[in-house]
Amino acid sequence: MAEPLKVGDKLASFTREIEEAKMVLFERVVWDRGSNSHSDPEAAKRDGMSKTIASGQNQMAFYHEMLERNFGDAWVYGGKISARYIHPVYGGDRLTPHGLVTEVGEVDGKPRVTVRLWVERQDGTKTSVGTAWAGQPSDKRSWIREGKAS
Amino acid sequence: MSEADQSNAVWESIPVGDDLGTMDYVMTEKMIADYREVVGNPTAAYPTVAARHPANLFYRKYRAVMRVPNTGHDSQFFNPPIAGKRIFVKATVADKYIRREKTYLIIEATATDEDGRLIEISRLVGLARPTTRPALADVAGKWEKKNG
Repeated sequence: MAEPLKVGDKLASFTREIEEAKMVLFERVVWDRGSNSHSDPEAAKRDGMSKTIASGQNQMAFYHEMLERNFGDAWVYGGKISARYIHPVYGGDRLTPHGLVTEVGEVDGKPRVTVRLWVERQDGTKTSVGTAWAGQPSDKRSWIREGKAS
Repeated sequence: MSEADQSNAVWESIPVGDDLGTMDYVMTEKMIADYREVVGNPTAAYPTVAARHPANLFYRKYRAVMRVPNTGHDSQFFNPPIAGKRIFVKATVADKYIRREKTYLIIEATATDEDGRLIEISRLVGLARPTTRPALADVAGKWEKKNG
């Protein structure tokens, strides 16, 4: 059974490289936005940047993965996040999402865990900061078992 | 009219509460598989992250005059999409403000599937600029100086 989180606990995490090719593909899966500063070096230059940058939603995917792994159903069914992208991420950067539990309580009779979030680049620069809210971790991964999003 | 005035003129013309309309699409198994491959997470629950619902609907209405590169998201997730189900999205301009002399638009999109299951409510925090000015030109320079 998943252990309840307490204030000061750190979420288990991972480190992954943002590959340039996948950064470009991210702009095409689900919604193909065409050429933009996340996928085309020339578009990036037109937008005042020296090279392509990863989109904020690409960092959001890192937060999702960490929260899915740590909270299971408690994140996937009702989780809430507020994130701000504060520094650019480039192809080849290695990113690590972090989560620190800052509050544990109840809202409307249901457990509520508040997590301070940030994403760090290989040199220690924070590229994103935010907060997430979810119930206490669950062992259940219903979206996989029930074939949801699969 | 100065560039700053032009920027504000477009931004000011977009009212809070503005209806950005609706769209729908089928979340296919391929989309889900491609998303999971690209993000390196074989069980990712929300491929809708890459669908960018708020921006998608905003640009259907305002692509010609305004860009909203995102500086953040405030989102809540309720039920992961199911492969093969049609997703219906509606969006509005939920708020607008000026902070540190920069204009922002908050665009909220709500997604439900064909069975009425609420999937997510996403708010995009967009740094609004007219299409006549390069995206992020003002902040990109600062970022890249930091980068060395």
